Amino acid sequence: MNIIFRKISNTKINYIITVVFILTTAVSIIGCATDKANEQPISNNKADPYENFNRKMFAFNSSVDTHVAKPISDSYKSVTPEFVQTGVANFFNNLKNINVIINDVLQAKFTQSAHDTGRIALNTTLGIGGLFDVAKHAGLEQNEEDFDQTLAVWGVSPGSYLVLPFFGPSTTRGVHGAIFDAATSPTTYTMIGVPINMVSVVNTRANADGSLKFINEAALDPYVFTRESFMQWRNNLATDGKTDSANNNIDELDIESLDDEKTSALKEDGAVAKKSNESNSGISLEPETK
Amino acid sequence: MILKKIQLVLFYIFCLAVTNTTLAQTDSAATAKQVVEKFQSELITVMKNGKQLGYAGRYKNLTQPVSDSHDLTKIARIIVGKEWEKLSETQQQKLVDAIIRLSIASYAHNFKDFSGESFIFDSEEETTRGGFVVHSHLVIPDDKPVKFDYMLKEKGNSWRIINIIANGVSDLALKRSEYTTILQREGFDSLVAKINERIDAYSKL
Repeated sequence: MNIIFRKISNTKINYIITVVFILTTAVSIIGCATDKANEQPISNNKADPYENFNRKMFAFNSSVDTHVAKPISDSYKSVTPEFVQTGVANFFNNLKNINVIINDVLQAKFTQSAHDTGRIALNTTLGIGGLFDVAKHAGLEQNEEDFDQTLAVWGVSPGSYLVLPFFGPSTTRGVHGAIFDAATSPTTYTMIGVPINMVSVVNTRANADGSLKFINEAALDPYVFTRESFMQWRNNLATDGKTDSANNNIDELDIESLDDEKTSALKEDGAVAKKSNESNSGISLEPETK
Repeated sequence: MILKKIQLVLFYIFCLAVTNTTLAQTDSAATAKQVVEKFQSELITVMKNGKQLGYAGRYKNLTQPVSDSHDLTKIARIIVGKEWEKLSETQQQKLVDAIIRLSIASYAHNFKDFSGESFIFDSEEETTRGGFVVHSHLVIPDDKPVKFDYMLKEKGNSWRIINIIANGVSDLALKRSEYTTILQREGFDSLVAKINERIDAYSKL
């Protein structure tokens, strides 16, 4: 699941102008959409005040994906050998490491910046311009850093959740981060930037197939599923996986309040006993297959 | 003769008592880590036989391990948050049933085969509110490992999983957002219908 967001992030980096344009358009559309918002339930999620607009963009992106991106990606996969797809992915990952190193330094991760510098040096030389990920075999794993994470480390809050047309999930902080990331991407300043980015987009979509399939299979509400997993994933990256799971306030407080409940409509013990019996009998716990 | 019989009966009762006490101690002594490791081990066993078992077989074999290691009633209550109290007892029971079936179906679908995966225990820590978090990761050959953090709370004299955080994404928080949104926007019947659709889809994929 995380892969898709990472890939989408890579794509964003290379499109500064489009992002700015889309942001401007998005804000205008939000203004228009607000008038119609009264027809729909107002979002209860504080992180997603533009839910009505975002849902429309999510539907739009899904439609673009179904009718344009997926067919192109499927064709690309059918005519491109897997090792070529891997090579293309490695090439763009290697380019991205310039940005990773800059953000390592901005976050005062100097040891990691040395690690990532070694990574890019190895892959650019021995890995033939980044087509082969030889650094991985030397124990230098790919790190994920971008300016959105740097802003988080500096104490900037993520702001509102946004779904950008064509680019998918982001936040107001993430949009600013993407602008800086684009400014540090070498492809932004080259004449061949557009075709290179097109290949990147197609390859990205091809690699994200499994993740999209997972969302389609698991989600009851794909919009909320995507939003929540994206926000949590970004938070996990920003904190380098040190999210305080042991003292996860929301979960713990909820659980405690349930423990303290004196008047629950369902008597838990009875329910569990019933469940246990049903489980043993194999009646109600069987899958509902047709 | 009668005395001998009484002695035998007393000995039998003593043996029975000792056995029961030992079993009870073993049960109560199962730590949070042991609960998680037992479940992971059962999951790997099902994965190893995944292809032969098929979906229905995996579902059947995982029913007891999931029910024994997860507190699915509590999970259901947390998932719908404040909406829980607005539901009738019948609706609550219906929701718990649906979430139990969805949890097992989800495991049966997503852990369908084996290609050398293994769970590695990293550490465990007690939470400020008396729970435990067991940190582990799933090693997948030729791929990045997936971090699994299990959050457990005590239920009776054993520990039960109430949340799984995979690579920083909390299953409980994810489901709570989804389910409360559907409850508020579309109502209870729609939520249960969507859960049943997922379960049905898992069985056919």
